[in-house]
Amino acid sequence: MSDLDGPSPAETLDGASTVEVRTTASAALIPTIRAVASDLAARADFDLDAISDLRMAVDEACATLVDVAAPSSTLQCTFLVRSERIEVRAVVQAGHPDAEVSTDTFGWRVLQTLADDVAVSHEPGTGGAGPTVGIRLDKRSGDLPR
Amino acid sequence: MPDPAPPGSEATASDTASEFLDTTITRPRTGTAVLEVEGEVDTLTAPRFSSAVDELMSSHEPTLVVDLSGVTFLASSGLAVLIQAAHRAEERSARLRLVAATRAVRRPLEITGTDQLFDMHENVHDATGGDD
Repeated sequence: MSDLDGPSPAETLDGASTVEVRTTASAALIPTIRAVASDLAARADFDLDAISDLRMAVDEACATLVDVAAPSSTLQCTFLVRSERIEVRAVVQAGHPDAEVSTDTFGWRVLQTLADDVAVSHEPGTGGAGPTVGIRLDKRSGDLPR
Repeated sequence: MPDPAPPGSEATASDTASEFLDTTITRPRTGTAVLEVEGEVDTLTAPRFSSAVDELMSSHEPTLVVDLSGVTFLASSGLAVLIQAAHRAEERSARLRLVAATRAVRRPLEITGTDQLFDMHENVHDATGGDD
């Protein structure tokens, strides 16, 4: 399960406050996660468009991961609230060793449009832990020229 | 008549989903059909949204309006349904009218450029070209 553990203390000490949400990997629970995203962005003084974008990006990332998650597994979503940006790391246990997030979909293009930076990670799994699939995304608090 | 389970969703999921999305089609005047949507359009509710849009598209009124004023969240799965509907409308040389009043709907439509496919309106009254 080490792949599902949160960021190490060293990572949390660089000025980010961390919020972690764990749910059953089910589409029915994504509204709760996106509500947390939206709340954190509002409290971090994101502009209204950026709040909307983060909420939608988190929804998209979680929905994508729930699709490839193992039955009755966990979706873990970690928010690192930094100065003027929020970094999100969402991870699920993969349903199959070769489970992949497809990046040639409409949803993925939307995610790339919404977030300032987005990346997929596939971990093969070590020891007793199964493979995991994750999405990391970065959102800045306001519009900057891209 | 029992609601058929939308394709690609579990029965339990769509049961829950129906609580979060309401769809109603009305014909406020001859030649105009309005699909009013209320709730959140995401992966869970998109199948329901999709069948409501299909129903609207299969009506023969020349003016078709999707009223998203009551929508509080619009995910890419919902945008995909709208884009498909816009293309279907195009095939019969029509243009769908969208009512998008809130940021929750306008922002996703604008940032993805999806708004370009529709006649955009601020309220139903304008969208139906109405004098009621």
